[in-house]
Amino acid sequence: MAEAVLSFIDAQHRHPLPDPKWYKPWDKRLGPGVVGLNLDLYAGSVLGLVGPNGAGKTTLLRMMAGILPLQKGEVKARFHSDTLAEVGDLRQWVGHMPEQVRWQGRMTVRDILIQLAEMRNVDQTRIDGLLGLVGLRGRQDEALNNLSQGMRQRLSIAAALLGSPKVLLLDEPFNGLDPVASQAFTDLVRRLASKGVSVVISSHMVAQLEGLVDRIALLHRGQLLDEGPMEDVERRLDLDGRYALSGTGEVDAEHLFHDLDVELLDLQQDDSHWSLTFRGSPLSVLQAAMANDVSITSWSPTRPNLVEWLCAATGMSVEDISLDVASSALLPMKTAEVGEDE
Amino acid sequence: MNDLKRIFNVARRIRNERLSGIRLKVMLPILILFLPGLAWGFSEPDIILPGGHQPSNAMEVLFYASLGVVLGATMCAVLMAFDGVSRDRASGMLEVQLAQPMPRNHQASALILGHTQSILIPVYALLFACLGVVRLRMGEWPSLQETVVYMLSTGLVVLWYTLFALLASTTAREQGTAIAFGVGVWFLFTFLWVLVTSMVAYASGVPVGEANDASWVALEGMLDLLSPNGVYHHLLETQLPSVDRGVAAWQVWIGAVLWTVVPWWALHKRMEALVP
Repeated sequence: MAEAVLSFIDAQHRHPLPDPKWYKPWDKRLGPGVVGLNLDLYAGSVLGLVGPNGAGKTTLLRMMAGILPLQKGEVKARFHSDTLAEVGDLRQWVGHMPEQVRWQGRMTVRDILIQLAEMRNVDQTRIDGLLGLVGLRGRQDEALNNLSQGMRQRLSIAAALLGSPKVLLLDEPFNGLDPVASQAFTDLVRRLASKGVSVVISSHMVAQLEGLVDRIALLHRGQLLDEGPMEDVERRLDLDGRYALSGTGEVDAEHLFHDLDVELLDLQQDDSHWSLTFRGSPLSVLQAAMANDVSITSWSPTRPNLVEWLCAATGMSVEDISLDVASSALLPMKTAEVGEDE
Repeated sequence: MNDLKRIFNVARRIRNERLSGIRLKVMLPILILFLPGLAWGFSEPDIILPGGHQPSNAMEVLFYASLGVVLGATMCAVLMAFDGVSRDRASGMLEVQLAQPMPRNHQASALILGHTQSILIPVYALLFACLGVVRLRMGEWPSLQETVVYMLSTGLVVLWYTLFALLASTTAREQGTAIAFGVGVWFLFTFLWVLVTSMVAYASGVPVGEANDASWVALEGMLDLLSPNGVYHHLLETQLPSVDRGVAAWQVWIGAVLWTVVPWWALHKRMEALVP
């Protein structure tokens, strides 16, 4: 792995919330946000930032984009030289694509990009290339008010790429993109990474990131639970080696898995079909299925979903997690690596 | 590109977008009615105003016609700028703008300039029309100094209300709150300030509304320094030798500077702390 291009050390930003008292009507207290974050971004790497609603993904991206200041901790970068040095303003180096920007107004696509280029102090000749890259060349004279959601998403990508960023932040970038655009976007992210851009993609859909990200960061209640290559994180959380098996007819899973060193995770069965997820040796399961005349229609490795990641990382149950997500707050929590209350 | 040019470029785009919007087309008839319309009315040779006043020269007509600026142009400034920040915040465009490496105080300056220009351009065009109307009806032009003060002070009062509206826009999460704040401030200084003045006069034992009472005139003159409309009228009165409300020209100009600098500074502070 290359050296970190951007490094956050014990970084914190918690949102100030109104806390009025009769003697201090405008008093505020610190609410949820991101606390004690230690995270490195690498050149040419794609990091998937995963967490449920309210986990702090957008806050973290805004911290990385230089929009929200660090209340504690420091940020170091290797933009200027080969050594990590403290950096004051990240905005010059970072391209930020916020979630679901509803570009509106009478300005045209081209005009808004020119304005942003002026704000970035970058050459406007890049705009033509970018419009072609995101497929908006034919719509460049269209007023922002007339763009569809997918076109607006493409414009957001173009805006994020204006300054030839060394770090590209993408907040839920797949929202609003059709499958063709999603595929083109995935290719674009890969191409940018191959050119040395460090890409951060936030999503609450782990499956969407599969095959695209090199590393994953699991965020919950403003804390980084685990980070690293997806396989490593899965292994650390005991979530690796999962397979999905489905077939027709009926299956007696208890009998099938008898005497096998396999953990049955899920079983769904109706009148004519069944599907199950297990963890263990796939070969032994397939052999047992064949020996018991079980009809198999598909077999594939599978990844845990976001809830399973969170359950494994926090040690909480599904019920607790779902309630906890609904009332997200900053509380001491159990982390996967430390294994004890912080 | 240097910083100043960048600020002006961004301001120009904001201005052009606002100038081409439907909002201005809706407000234009109101402005025409209030600015050249009032100038036409007050320059009627036989007009007798309440109290037996009769405008005797071009500057006096412009002073009376400035009622149209107070009622129309300032309201248009509020309506033009109330969503200057809140609209972009609601749409997510503010986050994109704040992520650009242009310093936030420069972005604030561009916002102020862009919005102020967008209302000042039609207002100034109509003020020049006012001068033409006065010339047509009275056969005289105001002097160059009177014209400069008239234009400058009108520009300032429009700027102040633009600043109030933008400040509200940075504070309010919803556009409704921003417009309520802007219109509320406009209403306070345009209609309710008389009430505030009367209450202070009553509490001070000054006879309320006695135009011939020196203490009332002095109190009203001083309290007007606390209102942007009052300072605007004081500025215009510097060109009317017949009017003396006990406030020196230097006090008026200091008031004008403070009404400009304080909200300008407050808006920059707000922008520095702004969260998308």
